[in-house]
Amino acid sequence: MARRKNNKKGGAKSQTPLYVGGGVLAAALVGFIAFSGGSSKSHADKAAESFRVADYRMNASRFTNNHYRITGRVENIETLGNDRLVAVSIPGSDRERLPLLVRSGVAGNVNLTRGDSFVFDVDCCTGRDEDMKEIKGVLVVRNVETK
Amino acid sequence: MKNIYSILLLPLIGSLATAQMEPGNYAVIPDISGTQPKADNGNSRAKSSSKSSSKKSARNVDEDDEDDYDDPPARSGSRTTNYDDDGEPENPRLLGMELPLLDPSSDTMTYNGAKFDVGNNAAVRAMFETYLSQSPEDSAEAKKYRKRMADIEKLTQNNARKQNEVGSDTLAKIGRGLYEAGDYPGDGGQANTLAQGIATALAVQYANRTRDRQNQQLDHEIEKLVRDTNIKQTRNENRPSKEVGSGRNRQRQQDQGKSNQFLIAQQTANIATMQGTKTKNEAANTAAMELAKVAFQSMILSQLADRRFDHVVIASNAYRHIFRDGSSKLDLKKDSQASQLFEGIGGMPPTVAALSSFAAGTRQKVDKHMQSVGNLLAQNKLGEATQHLIEAVILGEYMESVVTFPTEGRRRVAEYWTLRKRSLSALNSRDYGTLEEVADKMKELDSDFDDSMLRSYISGRKRQSDMCLRNAKKAFMAGDEEAANEYAKQAAIIWPRNPNLDKMEEEVVKLDNNDPVMAEFKTLMGRKEYRHIFNEQDKFEVVALDKDLKQQYKDCITLISTIDGMLKQLDIAAETDRKMGPCMAYEMLVDQREKDARYGEDSAFKDAMTRFSLGAHDFVQALEDGKEQESRGEYGSALANYYRAQCLYPKSRMAKEGIDRVSQIILKSKF
Repeated sequence: MARRKNNKKGGAKSQTPLYVGGGVLAAALVGFIAFSGGSSKSHADKAAESFRVADYRMNASRFTNNHYRITGRVENIETLGNDRLVAVSIPGSDRERLPLLVRSGVAGNVNLTRGDSFVFDVDCCTGRDEDMKEIKGVLVVRNVETK
Repeated sequence: MKNIYSILLLPLIGSLATAQMEPGNYAVIPDISGTQPKADNGNSRAKSSSKSSSKKSARNVDEDDEDDYDDPPARSGSRTTNYDDDGEPENPRLLGMELPLLDPSSDTMTYNGAKFDVGNNAAVRAMFETYLSQSPEDSAEAKKYRKRMADIEKLTQNNARKQNEVGSDTLAKIGRGLYEAGDYPGDGGQANTLAQGIATALAVQYANRTRDRQNQQLDHEIEKLVRDTNIKQTRNENRPSKEVGSGRNRQRQQDQGKSNQFLIAQQTANIATMQGTKTKNEAANTAAMELAKVAFQSMILSQLADRRFDHVVIASNAYRHIFRDGSSKLDLKKDSQASQLFEGIGGMPPTVAALSSFAAGTRQKVDKHMQSVGNLLAQNKLGEATQHLIEAVILGEYMESVVTFPTEGRRRVAEYWTLRKRSLSALNSRDYGTLEEVADKMKELDSDFDDSMLRSYISGRKRQSDMCLRNAKKAFMAGDEEAANEYAKQAAIIWPRNPNLDKMEEEVVKLDNNDPVMAEFKTLMGRKEYRHIFNEQDKFEVVALDKDLKQQYKDCITLISTIDGMLKQLDIAAETDRKMGPCMAYEMLVDQREKDARYGEDSAFKDAMTRFSLGAHDFVQALEDGKEQESRGEYGSALANYYRAQCLYPKSRMAKEGIDRVSQIILKSKF
């Protein structure tokens, strides 16, 4: 299960009706936080929306700068030093693999092994290679949790 | 005896002299019975061939061929010298006839300085084939004849009478028996000849006896005359030296003395005349006896040469009945072949008894040969059986064991003999294909038949011919028509029925008539329409005669054949596994196209690519999307597409390579 958590560079425009709405929402948010004790996870889940691997295959750049929480089973691991590129299968997409870049130390104490399922917090990024050429639409893992 | 098998074959002399002139008898013959090949080219050619065999082996093929085909074989003409072509003395002559010698170690017979292979000599062939075609002589008449001859032989073993007697009851019985035996057609009149020989010898002795009696009479008369002469002489000597008595008495005494002297002179002359007559008779007796002996011995030798061994034994035994002087020495010319034949008896002079012994020994040898023939036929060893039968027939054609040989045995040997003859005929005509077929059949008939040397010979000659043809082709391609013709000629000489000769001729004709075809071939090759060429490969085969186009033609045929074979297998695989089969087939086609661009030019290959692309649409789409994304720097999408392709076909090489390549790029990048 993959859900988009937020969009850091959302394109909201400053418009008067929105300020009004924002104030209402802020009030509601304060009340909600006061009621629920301020849990950020619940907020993220709520904001997330579904992630389709087929869409990612067609144009990964569309997902750039988005943050996702993805649950999947590790099917393959490519390594370079301590960095790993894992291919995970997502429930409902048996004939698809989603490549995730796991930099050294990101996994913490979690031992990534083939056949096990994990929860990955990922950002869709654009990087650069040694020749400064753009490397687009790569999902970079920020955190890993055991499922 | 020096060489008991050096049997004399006088009856063959006439036919051999004719056969010697036949061109067909001159050929280089490898011995198909497994012995060393030998030359049989007649006269000194055979000898010189064997002597120079080592030199010939070092010579090249061309020279060999020239020797074989260009040089007309030497033929024997009339001989006027006593030395053959090698400077060796001719065979010695006996009684004006030359004796052919059979050498069993090489199956050759020497006659008049020439060597003949008994298996390849027209006369021997004819004799042996006649023998094989005849029925066994086992009629009642034949049996009666043989029994009669055996009885006569026993009679000859009786003791002879006293020396001074002429003829005897035994001789009379022998003579009568021989005349009766002579009635049998199979005897060939030999018994009659022998009987007449005996009669002639006896007639001479009767004449001698008459002269002996005349001499005895003369001796009496001479003795009487000598006695009378002596008396007269004594009387004359005792007559008084002075005249006594009256004148008349004295006159009478003087007349008496004169008369005695005249009588003495006359009687002395008569004695001398009678002595002369006696001496003349004695000389006539000696000459007649010697002549009779020589004539009889000549007859025995003639029958020996005719291989009538029974007659020889009878005649030799009868000799001591006829000539009772105890001397049986053969009157042979010094250094004659017959004298050499019998010279081995401790340096002693040859005798009639030796002839008898020789004939008896040969009869035994022939019988052993015939026993061997029976045993070998029982073991299906037809080759050896045939050899033994030939030797037996040549040595003892008229012997009981030979003439009674059963029909079935003759038929089997004849079958093998016919094959052997065909093999020689095929060899002479250099028809090596037929020769191999015949060798196969001979091997079927006789598992012991050693064909290794024959096959080596055939193989070598075939190879030589093919090699010449190959050179001819090369020369033709190079435009050297003269050299090509020369090589083709050599190939035809070595193996006239070489099937490749016809092929080459056809190819050359085609090449001459097919320049437009070659032009079309070049055009199609330029357009890379390999399948077109393949579909009409028979038409374009002629271009293979061109050295450059040949390889192109072969490559083209090989390429399309390989493509068709591969597509057939891929279709089967795709049909068997409809899920991954098309993926595998597609990827294999892509691989082949990458290895050899010509694959991609073929229409069938292209069709297959389309077909398998449709069957493996998702797989192909994923690979193509992966490549396309990769080219745009969309490495995340590209990697996901490669993984997608791998999921659809886990063994995909292209997917694996894409994953490895893009993974390394991502891992090395900074985010």
